Amino acid sequence: MAESHFKEESFSNKLSFKTATRILKQAAPHWPLLIGFIIFIMITAFTEAFNTYMVKNAIDEAVIPGNGPLLLRYMTVYGSLHILLAGTVFGFIYCAGRLGEQIQYDLRKKLFNHLQDLSFSYFDKTPVGWIISRCTSDIQRVSDLVTWNLLDMVWALTNITSAMVFMFLINWKLALIVAVALPVLITIALRFQKYIIGEFRKVRSINSKITGAFNENITGVKIIKALVREKKNLSQFGELTDNMYGASYRAIWLSAIFLPIVQLLTAVAFGAVLWFGGFQFKLGLFTIGGIQAFISYITFMMWPVSDLARVYGEMQQAVASAERVFSLIDTEPEIKDSPEAYDVESVKGDIEFKNVDFYYEKNNPVLSDFSLKVKPGETIALVGPTGGGKSTIVNLVCRFYEPKEGQILMGGRDYREFTQQSLQSKLGVVLQTPHLFSGTVMDNIRYGRLDATDEEVIEAAKLAHAHDFIAGLENQYQEDVGEEGTLLSVGQKQLISLARAILARPEIIIMDEATSSIDTITEDLIQKGMDTLLEGSTGFVIAHRLSTIRHADRILVIEDGKIKEMGSHRELLSRRGHYFDLYTRQFRRERQRDLHVFS
Amino acid sequence: MRTINNIPSSSGSGLWFLLKGFRVRFFSALFFQAVEVAAGTAGYFVLRYYVDDIINTGDWRFPLIYFSLFYIGFALLRGLFSFLTARGVGGTAEGIARNLRNSIFDHIQKLSFSYHDQTRTGELIQKSTSDVDAIRRFYNEMISGLSRIFFMFLINLFSIFYLNMKLALLSIIVVPLLVAMSVFFFRRIHDSYESYQDQDGKVSSSVQENLTGVRVVRAFARQEFEMEKFDDENKEKFKRGKRFLINHAMYWPSSHIVCAAQQVFGIVTAAFMVMDGKLSIGDMVAYIGFLNTIIWPIQQMGRIVAQLSTASVSYGRVASILLNDQEDLTTGLDDAPLKGHIEYRDLSFSYDNSGKVLKKVNIICEPGHSVALLGETGSGKTSLVNLLPGFYRKDGGELLIDGRPIEEYSRHFLRRNIGIVEQEPFLFSTSIRENITYGVDRDVSDDEVFEAARAASIHKSIMSFPEKYDTIVGEKGVTLSGGQKQRIAIARTILKNPRILILDDSTSAVDAETEDNIRDALNSLMKNRTTFIIAHRVQSLIDADQILVFKNGEIIQRGVHQSLIAVPGFYKHVFELQNKIEAELDAELEKEAISG
Repeated sequence: MAESHFKEESFSNKLSFKTATRILKQAAPHWPLLIGFIIFIMITAFTEAFNTYMVKNAIDEAVIPGNGPLLLRYMTVYGSLHILLAGTVFGFIYCAGRLGEQIQYDLRKKLFNHLQDLSFSYFDKTPVGWIISRCTSDIQRVSDLVTWNLLDMVWALTNITSAMVFMFLINWKLALIVAVALPVLITIALRFQKYIIGEFRKVRSINSKITGAFNENITGVKIIKALVREKKNLSQFGELTDNMYGASYRAIWLSAIFLPIVQLLTAVAFGAVLWFGGFQFKLGLFTIGGIQAFISYITFMMWPVSDLARVYGEMQQAVASAERVFSLIDTEPEIKDSPEAYDVESVKGDIEFKNVDFYYEKNNPVLSDFSLKVKPGETIALVGPTGGGKSTIVNLVCRFYEPKEGQILMGGRDYREFTQQSLQSKLGVVLQTPHLFSGTVMDNIRYGRLDATDEEVIEAAKLAHAHDFIAGLENQYQEDVGEEGTLLSVGQKQLISLARAILARPEIIIMDEATSSIDTITEDLIQKGMDTLLEGSTGFVIAHRLSTIRHADRILVIEDGKIKEMGSHRELLSRRGHYFDLYTRQFRRERQRDLHVFS
Repeated sequence: MRTINNIPSSSGSGLWFLLKGFRVRFFSALFFQAVEVAAGTAGYFVLRYYVDDIINTGDWRFPLIYFSLFYIGFALLRGLFSFLTARGVGGTAEGIARNLRNSIFDHIQKLSFSYHDQTRTGELIQKSTSDVDAIRRFYNEMISGLSRIFFMFLINLFSIFYLNMKLALLSIIVVPLLVAMSVFFFRRIHDSYESYQDQDGKVSSSVQENLTGVRVVRAFARQEFEMEKFDDENKEKFKRGKRFLINHAMYWPSSHIVCAAQQVFGIVTAAFMVMDGKLSIGDMVAYIGFLNTIIWPIQQMGRIVAQLSTASVSYGRVASILLNDQEDLTTGLDDAPLKGHIEYRDLSFSYDNSGKVLKKVNIICEPGHSVALLGETGSGKTSLVNLLPGFYRKDGGELLIDGRPIEEYSRHFLRRNIGIVEQEPFLFSTSIRENITYGVDRDVSDDEVFEAARAASIHKSIMSFPEKYDTIVGEKGVTLSGGQKQRIAIARTILKNPRILILDDSTSAVDAETEDNIRDALNSLMKNRTTFIIAHRVQSLIDADQILVFKNGEIIQRGVHQSLIAVPGFYKHVFELQNKIEAELDAELEKEAISG
């Protein structure tokens, strides 16, 4: 589970008025569908009740007196109403279903688009899995709430009300008996749902533990075997499955007892109807058709009541889902274009950090009072230990984050004066772990400039020295790279992302060299591609390789958020300081590898 | 704890096989279901007598309250049996699911390495969770749902027969049509649902891709483009959702009309029979109830029939795990004092029985000595040590431990006596204490744990965590550095106290400073144990009692450091390269200094 350091806010499942109206608002643009399904389901429920009344009349007025033609007339009406019912059934399924899909579509779009605006600070602290559930299952539940759950409710209400009305019409004294039984039923149902929902919640939580145990058992299988843990592991896992069995069994037990109780209570009500009804019949106040109708109505009414627990539980979940979805929509991006922001034409590759402070967490400063002036066309190599602040500097240049104090100037102006869109389109970024999107090689390179022609894409690939390997692929530029580029090696992905950056014709290049092992030939190609890219543009390179470091105009040794050393390769070496240590260590490592010492 | 062995491969007999031990419970539950349905039907018979009684005889034969009590009595019976059914069916399904989960779990940890090498984690997890759940639903929902429809049909049809044979036959005219419609439509609904779900998966993965690639998206300012791309997937889902919906919206009204037609026809027929005196009015009242219970449930039948195929597919997937042979862990010598003398005699090994990974290797290692293995990636070093704990079996030759062939020992015995420290050790998401004691099968005192941790020079770091030894490791707890993980794994091995030790490149994943720390810990671990070291750095090899250089599965050089550097060969070459690098570095530094 990814939800480790991420503290989820707790979302209540009590329906507040604000949340309720906001949920309904999602349906508002499609109000004809909403009104449509409500009307259709009401007609459906009412017509069903009315049809029962028709059968009652047929029995009393036609069957018992032996009036054949009248019977046929009643049954014709009855049959036609069923055809009407078929129509309304179609109507509510279509309207509610369509509305549901619409709402899901709208909300997903809104959520996704909002995600494109959110800042990195949000993604840093929010697990991807969490966001994906917001975009999928939560949205599903919200749409279910406005459609199927609402439909269930309207159906239950119309059903119960019309059944009650007809019962009162037939015999109000007997109807009163049913009316008394109803609240008792509903109270019991609500009481039960609390326990049932509680048990199912337990089942879900144990279930995710079981999945976790499987995961560990599979990924850790070597060490489990080596440490002879099979028996103990199985017995620990056995406890988990026993708990699962216990919780599921309790949930089953509770559900299994709930339905019979509802049935029994309705049976008691109907028993009472039979008893009093007999006397009433004797007095001529009740009919055989009436008895037939009462048993139908009471059976009808039982279904919504026994469904209550399920619907109520689903609605609770849906409300919590809605609040999570809304909380994401309400999250404000930390970095926003100011109202006066304008599209910058060119930043001229000129960057200056002016007394920049930065932290991710308030009492843990990463950069403090950091100043640096970069001349156009200069290549800056950033070296130093992990966590020292190299990536932070690069993130600030990209404006993935903004300085907490101080300024970053580009082309002499605070870069917050520019729109993010225009600023970022001047950048070319190559990441340490190159990210490719599913699609073809061509699509991925073209990501750098969407209106580039095929020829331009190929040209960029050639400049990046990626063309040769691409030409060797079975489908060449049309080769599918697989999800997240899994079908290519890290080096190949790096070459493609270089081509992508070259195609973008950026003014400022930001590069994070890959640390993972890449074969020497590919690495040479990458080096050449980098040189092409860096030619003439301002570049920031988080450097791990000697050749890159040596070629840089200036090297910055960054440690603890400060520039420990700065200067050219030569100057820094002669200083015999941090850089000297770093360099000699890297020299040994790289040469060992180059000479195939132990690989 | 019950685990299942020898399951059948076909899903039909397999689903029957899984019921073993639950059959009495399950089939009695289905029998209770029949009683439950019958009790419901009996309620209508009470109604029938009641109606005929009050209408025909001005004088009542029974007090009215009897009818009520009978009605309630049958409802009670029905409730009781409905409860028993749900409990029995549910208990069976959960019990089978529990057995399956336990069996799969146990089976997975006992499957051979060759199996794990070829199988993806996600796939195994999917099979162990979703597919088990589908099998659970097969018993809990599908079988009991189908049998309920069956009982309702049979018992109520029987009841109508009892009332009037002709009426009964006229009441089921539409049933074949209805069954056909239901099965036909639900197959379509099922298919359209699957395609809807597929698209749902695509929507999720496109969100995922966008989020994992967020840096690229922002860096190239491609938000608009991403929105459009997502909208395509989103629209496709909307479209497929509509198709799924239309199938539903077609099926329910059309089957409704068929059911209603049967109902109208039945009621009219019954009514004319009453008028002709062939049927009592009480019969008719009961008949309407019976008719409803026959027809309407069939509407639902197709849903279950369509789902049966999923259960069968899921069974096949679960069986694909369980049908693989487990390693034999216990056969063989299980309790012998082990000195730690190891001999490889003309040993050949490969993963596909071609004898190509190791070719006739000969090694003799005295108890307590250390053997260092050197060579390029893929030269056979790891394969060689993986034979010791019986992770794989050799192709030819002999592997002798204390003079006996390795096959004579049980795998459990071997593994209890062999400690492995891997390049990237695996820790479990539990407390540090439990991770350290993970390899010993007895109660361990705190002092022993601390002692092991001290020897691995990790005690101090652990004590600096707020929860100390109770600190939870991994995603839900503290994130440990590579060096800390490594040292916890060493402490784990120290506590296990094995006779034979395998150090698989244990220091390559950490930086230089940590390496020194770990080296101390390793040295104390190696004392008096037969040790196989796979290493990439000369420092780790210099002290070894024996150094073996591997190439393409063969030993091309053997000796000790001093002897090996004295003769031309791979080792000397490597050693010289090492020196050459130092020389080069000096030269370069000098050059820079002079010109600078």
